[in-house]
Amino acid sequence: MKHLDADAMSALSRREPAAVAYFREHLAAPCDTCEAFLATHSGPDLLDGQVDSLLLGVGPTAQKAEDAPLDEVGLARVRRGMKGNRPDIRRWGLVAGAIAASLLAVVVVPRMRAEDPAVQAGTEWDGVKGPAGTIALELAVVARSADGALRRLDPQSAVAESDVLLLRYHATEAGTALLFQQRAGQGPELLGRFPLEAGTHDLEGPQGLAGVSLEGESGPVTLWLVGSAGGQEPSPDAVREVLVGGSAARERSRLAVTRFDVSVRSGQNRR
Amino acid sequence: MGSSEGLTEWVRRAARGETSAYSELYRRSRPMVARLVAGFAPLDPDEVEDVIQETFVRAFRALPRLKEAGAFEAWLLSIARNRARTRLERKASTRRLEDDVADPEPETVPHIPEALQLERDIEVVRRLIAELPEGEEKRTVQLFYIEGELSAREIAEKLGVGKSAVTMRLERFRSRIKRELLRRVLAGRWE
Repeated sequence: MKHLDADAMSALSRREPAAVAYFREHLAAPCDTCEAFLATHSGPDLLDGQVDSLLLGVGPTAQKAEDAPLDEVGLARVRRGMKGNRPDIRRWGLVAGAIAASLLAVVVVPRMRAEDPAVQAGTEWDGVKGPAGTIALELAVVARSADGALRRLDPQSAVAESDVLLLRYHATEAGTALLFQQRAGQGPELLGRFPLEAGTHDLEGPQGLAGVSLEGESGPVTLWLVGSAGGQEPSPDAVREVLVGGSAARERSRLAVTRFDVSVRSGQNRR
Repeated sequence: MGSSEGLTEWVRRAARGETSAYSELYRRSRPMVARLVAGFAPLDPDEVEDVIQETFVRAFRALPRLKEAGAFEAWLLSIARNRARTRLERKASTRRLEDDVADPEPETVPHIPEALQLERDIEVVRRLIAELPEGEEKRTVQLFYIEGELSAREIAEKLGVGKSAVTMRLERFRSRIKRELLRRVLAGRWE
């Protein structure tokens, strides 16, 4: 008796009549050998995707998908991944972040916004029980070069395309931060969402310490770290509106907005 | 199964370069991809996220070359399964870094008719689940596919068994469904 193997699958993909006729009958009954082969081999064609689509259709997932909210952070990671074979942010961070934690002296960049609760009444994040929380945020940045060297950056520093930027923050209380990257002439692009702890810490999310790769960048790049107190997490779109709205919008918001500007030089022309 | 007409239209728009179409495809497709990858219990939550990201990066890069827009969902899920398997095998050191499970070529994916018989197919799957002998495998399959809330990792905790055991049970059941579907394809079910 013949069972499924690579040759048989190839014949089935070509719709060879003899193979089709034989396996149409053979697979009508359970066959441990063929099922074991099917479990470990793909195809033919898109059969695997069709099987998974069918199985997932049995439960609630397919129905939920229609109304699923957009995972902006996940989509931002996909968009960054599509721009080239960039190193995964998480892996860069895991390699470089621990070094940064021991060597990084906090460089305080100008805090653009420490909100005045009196200004906040009526904004879209009202409704939190108790008095509105406030948070002040400061940001420090270190560049890790391709050879592993670390250097503290001042705002407007020139950096190389091969550098990875490591971030450290000081927050006056716990909350959440959204990290955006903005290129000249473009809108802010969400890089990730990170929990904030009170005190001075490396920027770290569920996926590890954060490092921002500059591969593929050129010219002015701005990093925005936007903090909000616990329980007042704004949507990325709402934060984007604040960022592109200029200083007036930032003054009106109850967000703590910090920015750090660098100028990326591409190729070998470093610093 | 073929993609729904709504999804297929978004695929066409994305292939024409509409940026917003990629967002919509991601929004609609991510739950299915995430659920599929959640069946690989040995992958931790970070690895699951990595697999999801890699799946969409690969799919979106190749999407303009996708021959049949209606095959998008099956094609995407095939990529997701391949990425998860590759990650799992690398984790178990059974696959070298340079090796990779090949994804279906977008230029050669076959036409998949609209899922006219989807409800009937789903009923077949439900019947096969109901016919499983009472025991841990049936419970695992019900929890993952019918109830569809817990990940394989969470099912392992709930049932007090190893993570690999849960994934093996799911894969064993899936191979039966795959055999059944292959038989139907060969019988001209989708010809």
